[in-house]
Amino acid sequence: MANISKKVSWSGRGDDRGERTPLLNGAEDGKYNRHLSGGGIFNIGRLSTVDLEEITPEEDIVRSRPKEIPHNAKLLSLKYESLDYDNSENQLFLEEERRMSHMGFRCLETRRWVICGLIGFLTGLIACLIDIAVEKLAGYKYSAVKQNIEKFTEFGGLSISLILWAVLNSAFVMVGAIAVAFFEPIAAGSGIPQIKCYLNGVKIPRVVRLKTLAIKVFGVICSVAGGLAVGKEGPMIHSGAVVAAGVSQGRSTSLKKDFKIFEYFRRDTEKRDFVSAGAAAGVSAAFGAPVGGVLFSLEEGASFWNQMLTWRIFFASMISTFTLNFFLSIYHGKPGELSSPGLINFGRFDGDSVQYNLYEIPLFIIMGALGGVLGALFNVINYWLTIFRIRYIHRPCLQVMEAMLVAAVTATVSFAMIYFSNDCQPLGQDNTEEYSLQLFCADGEYNSMATAFFNTPERSVRSLFHNPPGSYNPLTLGVFTLAYFVLAVWTYGLTVSAGVFIPSLLIGAAWGRLFGILLSTITSSQSIWADPGKYALIGAAAQLGGIVRMTLSLTVILVEATGSVTYGFPIMLVLITAKIVGDYFIEGLYDVHIKLQSVPFLHWEAPPTSHWLTAREVMSSPVTCFNRVEKVGRIVDVLSNTSTNHNGFPVVAHTTENDEPGKICGLILRSQLIVLLKHKVFVERASSRLSHRKLQLKDFRDAYPRFPPIQSIHVSQDERECMMDLTEFMNPTPYTVPQETSLPRVFKLFRALGLRHLVVVDNENGVVGLVTRKDLARYHLGKDGLEELHLAQT
Amino acid sequence: MELLTRLTFVSACLFAEWAVTFIAVANCSSSPSEMNGDSALKLPSADIPVAQKSTLGSFYSLSLSSTFPEDLEVNEYCTELLRIYGQRYVTFANCLVTYARPVRVCQNCYTGFNSLEDIYKNISFDKSAPGNVSCHDSLMRSDRLMLLYTLFIKLDEIWTSAECKQCLNEDQDALSNDTLYFMATLNQSLSCFEQYQRNHTELCKDCKTSYKRLNEVYGRMEKNQMLCIDLEDAMNMTQHLWSKNFRCLLPREETVPVIAVSSFMLFLPIIFYLSSFLHSEQKKRKLIHPKRVKSSSSLMNIQDKFS
Repeated sequence: MANISKKVSWSGRGDDRGERTPLLNGAEDGKYNRHLSGGGIFNIGRLSTVDLEEITPEEDIVRSRPKEIPHNAKLLSLKYESLDYDNSENQLFLEEERRMSHMGFRCLETRRWVICGLIGFLTGLIACLIDIAVEKLAGYKYSAVKQNIEKFTEFGGLSISLILWAVLNSAFVMVGAIAVAFFEPIAAGSGIPQIKCYLNGVKIPRVVRLKTLAIKVFGVICSVAGGLAVGKEGPMIHSGAVVAAGVSQGRSTSLKKDFKIFEYFRRDTEKRDFVSAGAAAGVSAAFGAPVGGVLFSLEEGASFWNQMLTWRIFFASMISTFTLNFFLSIYHGKPGELSSPGLINFGRFDGDSVQYNLYEIPLFIIMGALGGVLGALFNVINYWLTIFRIRYIHRPCLQVMEAMLVAAVTATVSFAMIYFSNDCQPLGQDNTEEYSLQLFCADGEYNSMATAFFNTPERSVRSLFHNPPGSYNPLTLGVFTLAYFVLAVWTYGLTVSAGVFIPSLLIGAAWGRLFGILLSTITSSQSIWADPGKYALIGAAAQLGGIVRMTLSLTVILVEATGSVTYGFPIMLVLITAKIVGDYFIEGLYDVHIKLQSVPFLHWEAPPTSHWLTAREVMSSPVTCFNRVEKVGRIVDVLSNTSTNHNGFPVVAHTTENDEPGKICGLILRSQLIVLLKHKVFVERASSRLSHRKLQLKDFRDAYPRFPPIQSIHVSQDERECMMDLTEFMNPTPYTVPQETSLPRVFKLFRALGLRHLVVVDNENGVVGLVTRKDLARYHLGKDGLEELHLAQT
Repeated sequence: MELLTRLTFVSACLFAEWAVTFIAVANCSSSPSEMNGDSALKLPSADIPVAQKSTLGSFYSLSLSSTFPEDLEVNEYCTELLRIYGQRYVTFANCLVTYARPVRVCQNCYTGFNSLEDIYKNISFDKSAPGNVSCHDSLMRSDRLMLLYTLFIKLDEIWTSAECKQCLNEDQDALSNDTLYFMATLNQSLSCFEQYQRNHTELCKDCKTSYKRLNEVYGRMEKNQMLCIDLEDAMNMTQHLWSKNFRCLLPREETVPVIAVSSFMLFLPIIFYLSSFLHSEQKKRKLIHPKRVKSSSSLMNIQDKFS
């Protein structure tokens, strides 16, 4: 029992009745307990407890068994852990560094460059694979449906074409959704929230595995070919990150293959740096925007940045876009003609018609505000939908069914729109529409609604940007915007892997073009407002900015993707406006999803008005500590206690059974202890160990990243009595703060150094508490001041 | 587009006349005659850059007054080439304009283009010229205007964008068989249209087979990339006649089944969500109570700070 009361923070699994025992002695405790855990929000700022549910009568029950509440956005999940970004400077590390020659460090640097090159190359190849596969599959589908429609337009039976289209869509989506739902649920969605979390320092289980990559790529191909309102760009970022994590480790635990290379990089610090390069390479391949990719990594995960790393990331990005470009040029039969740098090709905006004028800038700002409002609407609807999905549609088969239904409905809506549209346009001379449908139009004309719906979304975006004025009539665009908005909101968050970039761009391009057309009809001076294409571009930027709320990187991505620096200024203005307006209502889509997944995400700053909170209130206490020389039995007991999953243990000079806190002399991690136990590094065996080789840092790296669970390590009864000397292995200089440190100060330290554990000490350097990520992430600014999130088991 | 092309034709034509100066009057339709050739022979001696910069009106008076030493002048052989070039240029440009609307340029002007191309190549790759200066250099590259080159390139562009080569056979000296076949089919349709001019409903029914065959032939040729502007234009006109003039459109008859199937599809998700709401077990989260500092003083402190 003594051990248990020394536990650090969160009890993870099983019955935590035992854990709560110490909290129950004393009346004040009960009160405290109620405030924090009763299901209500502990509202510090205004000093009131807002109880969401009526819990007072059941208070006793609350104490005796875990409280269950429906899933909501105000939870922190226990399954997420931090990355060990902070380097452990123990004696082994120092020894290794001493052994390594000057040449060795040079080689290391070269190896980093090689890895970045490989990351770029492989990411580019994957992008190429996705592009070609989607093009082929969608090509087959659309030509089959088109033939069918053409046949039935003449002889009757178009409802059969409708059913055929819906069935084809559902079939593709079903395959993709089954793969995701049953084999790797983490591959669902765009993956950007997950990568954001990873770069923030949260270890999301299974997010950078090879299996995830395979499912992701397969799923994207299926869902885009299945005609859902999704894009293939977002998942590229995830794919790039997985490639980076895989390549930099020189092995795959999924395939159980170890290439015995790059062993030095097997730790969280290096891996995370490479993952940021991979994410950048992914962005770069997706949009043909290498600088945008670098800035994306900078914006999303850049608490720790250095010049060399940035330069390497840029290298990876460039290689990635070049590789994609090169292989696509071969695929298109023009090797060496590097004209498709990204998965999405916005086409060129040049010529006089697309220049903007000073007096158009207020209009752009208005469009930005509109984009912010529409984006916020998108996010709010999607938020409620996602909550519903988490609560009720959590079984895989239900998820697959939902995805199939969405696919079928997408086809139905598209077909109905096309069928009832009377908007016919003459075929252009350049014939950009690959699958133009005539339906009931006159010969030589095509159905203009079909260019928007009967196409992959990327192509639709491009035709909205570049088709000459007069290709769409306003009614078509209006109806299309509405329908596509609903479909896109509904689709994002399904159990398929797909991104939200392209649908956002498409919605925005549609209403932007509509805006442009209306302007020209209102003012009737043809020359100035002639080109609705540029309004489509601005609308697309506004809508995307309103949904994802990215700033710098999105501006650069769009500028690079359109290839015109001229639009840099208006795009930036639009994105700023969209973000300001949107943030007034709700945060960005990715942040919403991060919250809904209960991830302990640390934002850039501590919440405002939190300076009065000190480390003492924030920290978890009491802490489970180890002695410098600890009994093996106790270590095994602590580690194998299922109700705790602590990861870091302060090492103290000596612990006594009384309340006096021991003086801190180091910090040791669970993973290190497990490796030590596995190699049986006991004091009693020291004499015999001399004959064996000494434990090196390499042994710790070999076990990374999946350290065996404590249950798999057998410690005999004799060995339990042995002692273990931790001095050599612990981090002798962990970061510590005094109890009176304010929350923002702790926060800054945590965020800037990428810490996982921060020891809180008293005046005599005695360990009084431990701050971890979840202690900090639980504070956030709600409607009525500072609120605290609950910890929950998910 | 067509208007633009025509403008190009006309301007190219005008250029041609001004440059070779056979024809005093700017009239494209006037055919060049051989007797003008003699006066053209004088032209090289008059071909002074300075004079060209001056206005057209004072051309002759200025040019006659000055000559260059022998070695700078264009030799006779080249002058002859230039003369032929001029003739053929005018013939071809004339042909283009004549058949501009409805577009029949490929069918009628390919001989003109071929001969113009021949003479242009002759000048460009001329090696056998007497004297040390080749005609290519003296005619084409001695001034910054490079008139012969520019003129030819313009027409060549037009010819390329018209894609006339796709309608001709491999030697480019006759229309290809497919083109002839297409025109025969087109004529059938047109004569059918002629026949039923009065009654459009009859027309839509009776000419459908021939019109459909025409469409098929056209579609096949499109796939094989055997279309040129002539055929495209002819097809365009026919389609316009068929759909707009005769209004032979397909009726929209199946509204009811389409609506039925669509609403059924739209109904499915509602059922799905309702049933999963009612039957699926709501996912609950177990709350965990974190361990904090045991003494209640912290909470008291918070309260003190604010009360």
